[in-house]
Amino acid sequence: MFSSKFFEGANVNPMLAVTAGLTAGGTFALFGVLLTIMSRLGKVVNFSQIAVGVFAVFLAIRIVPREMQPLGSVLAAMVIAMVLSMIMGFIVAKWLGDASVGARSAATVAILLGLYSLSNLIFGTRPQPVIPLVKGPLFQTDFINISQLAIVTTALAIIVAIVAKLVLRYTMVGTRLRAVSDRQDAAELMGINVMGLQLGVWAATGLIAGFSVALVANVQATDASSMITILIPSAAAALVGAFKRMDLAIIGGLSVGALQGLLTAFPSLVLLKDWVPILVIVILLLWTERKEVWDVAR
Amino acid sequence: MSLAKIVARRQRTRFLILIAAAVVVAVAVTLGLPTYFVFISITVLVAMVSLMGLGVVTGSAGMIALSQLTFAAIGAWVMEYLMLHTPIGGMFGGLSFIVAMLLGAVAAAALGLIVGLPALRLRGVNLAVITLGVAAAADMTLQKVFFPDAWTNERIPRPFGIAHSADGDRMYFLFVAIVVIIVAALVFMVNKGRLGAMWRFVAFSERGTAAAGTKVRNAKLSAFGVSAFIGGIAGGLTVGQIGQVNYISFATAGSLGLYVLCIVVGAHYIDMAFFGACLFVFIPELLKQFGLPLEWANIVFGVLGVQALTTNTSLGDQIRTWLRRRRSGGAEVRPVSMHLEDVDLEKTSAVFTTTGRPLLEVKDVSVVYGELRALDHVSLTVYDREVVGLIGPNGAGKSTMIDAITGFVPGYEGSIELEGKLLNGLAPDRRAHAGIRRTFQQDRVPSSMTVGQYVRLMAHGKSTHDEIEEILEYFGCPPAHTPLRVVDVGSRRIVEVAANVASKPLVLLLDEPAAGLSHDEHIVFGNQLRKLPQKYGISVLLIEHDLDLVRSVCSKLVVLNFGGVLASGDQEQVLRNPEVLKAYMGEKVE
Repeated sequence: MFSSKFFEGANVNPMLAVTAGLTAGGTFALFGVLLTIMSRLGKVVNFSQIAVGVFAVFLAIRIVPREMQPLGSVLAAMVIAMVLSMIMGFIVAKWLGDASVGARSAATVAILLGLYSLSNLIFGTRPQPVIPLVKGPLFQTDFINISQLAIVTTALAIIVAIVAKLVLRYTMVGTRLRAVSDRQDAAELMGINVMGLQLGVWAATGLIAGFSVALVANVQATDASSMITILIPSAAAALVGAFKRMDLAIIGGLSVGALQGLLTAFPSLVLLKDWVPILVIVILLLWTERKEVWDVAR
Repeated sequence: MSLAKIVARRQRTRFLILIAAAVVVAVAVTLGLPTYFVFISITVLVAMVSLMGLGVVTGSAGMIALSQLTFAAIGAWVMEYLMLHTPIGGMFGGLSFIVAMLLGAVAAAALGLIVGLPALRLRGVNLAVITLGVAAAADMTLQKVFFPDAWTNERIPRPFGIAHSADGDRMYFLFVAIVVIIVAALVFMVNKGRLGAMWRFVAFSERGTAAAGTKVRNAKLSAFGVSAFIGGIAGGLTVGQIGQVNYISFATAGSLGLYVLCIVVGAHYIDMAFFGACLFVFIPELLKQFGLPLEWANIVFGVLGVQALTTNTSLGDQIRTWLRRRRSGGAEVRPVSMHLEDVDLEKTSAVFTTTGRPLLEVKDVSVVYGELRALDHVSLTVYDREVVGLIGPNGAGKSTMIDAITGFVPGYEGSIELEGKLLNGLAPDRRAHAGIRRTFQQDRVPSSMTVGQYVRLMAHGKSTHDEIEEILEYFGCPPAHTPLRVVDVGSRRIVEVAANVASKPLVLLLDEPAAGLSHDEHIVFGNQLRKLPQKYGISVLLIEHDLDLVRSVCSKLVVLNFGGVLASGDQEQVLRNPEVLKAYMGEKVE
């Protein structure tokens, strides 16, 4: 079936490589959704979205006794990630309330740098012994290999997206959140607790980030460099949905993962693999913003 | 000699003294410091070069760039390749290093332009994601590709046969210091000049930049190119310093650290780039001395970065504000406003000198935003040397009209002609060059420039130095050396009008230029406007809500309402039209 000339350079069945790439793709989809939520509701591209989770997981496996892992450390990681995220949210909401998206995001770059270094400082640069929550293939044949992790992360991404959508559309909190993200000042004047709501968003995304990293840490986030290496393809995923649509972010994440997986089948293209996310980002952005747009409405 | 010339001369003298002082310090360090400190000082200077490069794109042009060390890596890689695998390595003798370093920097600049390409459409955070992505991808690639020196035991020879030894380090330091002084001087001059003004303008407002006849594309790409070129130089200097390099010297986290540091200190100031470089090198060095892990340095930078962002000010800005306050004896800097006493207050009647030649012809123009027809088959003509008023209630489509004429609404129906030439499809900067200039309702005057820098940038060389002085005087603007930051908002709008007059346009479109002026200033400004056609040969299309001003200045009026032309013609006749009164006052007039 895949013996056509195009695939002659492959050393693995390309279909196998694509499906194997979905494991990473699920992670990108999941974080793509989180980045989208932060962008929509927190008016920030949160560069430390993954960093918070990674740091929390590494800290959790240090402070939770071995016999209580993995469950205990996962819960601890979620709490730590939530608290860290809320601290960041407090800084951003309190002192950068009316700052531009750029300035708010730049602050998360600084926090990413701090968390990255703090992680190397406390935990070292060697791979961390995180106990996997799910492992092994779910479905395996000669030319398909879908891991349990791919299914779990993708399912989680879909659940988070659906819940977020339902909350935003059908609940009072959701209406208020939309009001805050549209016009913060106007919402404040209406008596909406802007700070509380924003902290809530940061807390929720932090909590999910902690859980998500705990899920994938064993394969994809073994050291602090993953704070950046997962961020880029996840941002590519979020950009597929223009930081607005979560469904497209999920598709984007899975596509980037699959594409990277496909390239692993071709040893001659191995260098290209690292450039896939950035190429996806550039092509998509140039396409979606092909019309001339100005920095401000008028 | 004018004040501006004295100020310029004083600045030039100070500039030369600084360069001389830097050379003296460099020689002193070369001769006087212990070997270890000489080596560290080289690291400081290389970091300073990186920061100066970053200062261009981040500090001056206001873009988030997280890939500065990637440019250094490309510079280093290409340089090593040229030195080891091409004849360049031996072709120029002691100068080979410099040639290879410059070529490496050119390669880095090429990558900078590629990375900058998305910046033409994207801004802010999206661009940050891209630059971080490039940094991360390049980092991973370099881990697999290795530097050209990886399989040799050779060290890349230093320039002029300087040895890789303790004494050689001293001489190499001197070499690096001279390179740094040259780069710093160039960056300083570029920042003072037209290119630097363009960068600061584009950082402040892309619309303003385009309306001034400057291509936003050129401003952004040149910032990326120059920044990456300087980054490439830093890479070459690193190669010369340690002889053999690997990817660790150019890690992504290093680029992040440099960016954060750039924000903290304000690296577009040369002295601050030096100070930032000292922090970048000495904080880790101090930690090492105290036996503390080096990671603390980045943690400190992270905290300082958040602090700088939340207060929206860099150390460089703070120091400069403090110095200014000290110089002015502790007094707060008070806003400067236009000086009425200098202006000729005599009241003259409107001067209508139109030659009857149609200049700007808007024919049947419609603009549709989704369901809304913002302009519905609007036609108007501005004749040579006349002042036409464009009035109407809020939301009538006045500003949309100006946007369409100046090229900010790409998809309008109908045609817009200037001197019979069709403007449809031309970008804003092309229309500006064709002779259409505009001002904005919002403040689009960059506070980072002086009045003179701004007016010169806007004038595009169309007015001489003396003409600019004369125009500033005519409008009663603050003197040319006044920083716009201390000029009050109302007066800034007048400076904006003056700057556009200095560009000698055929037609000047003014969007509520008198907002923010006092009553007296209104009258003065009306007099100035009225004489514009006669004095400078300019036609004016004026949007204004103040009917007194409109009455005293405009010969003809066009009234818009709900996107359509409600009335047009001679001023008095239009203002008597009951329909106009109804639309304008919102009630029926008996």
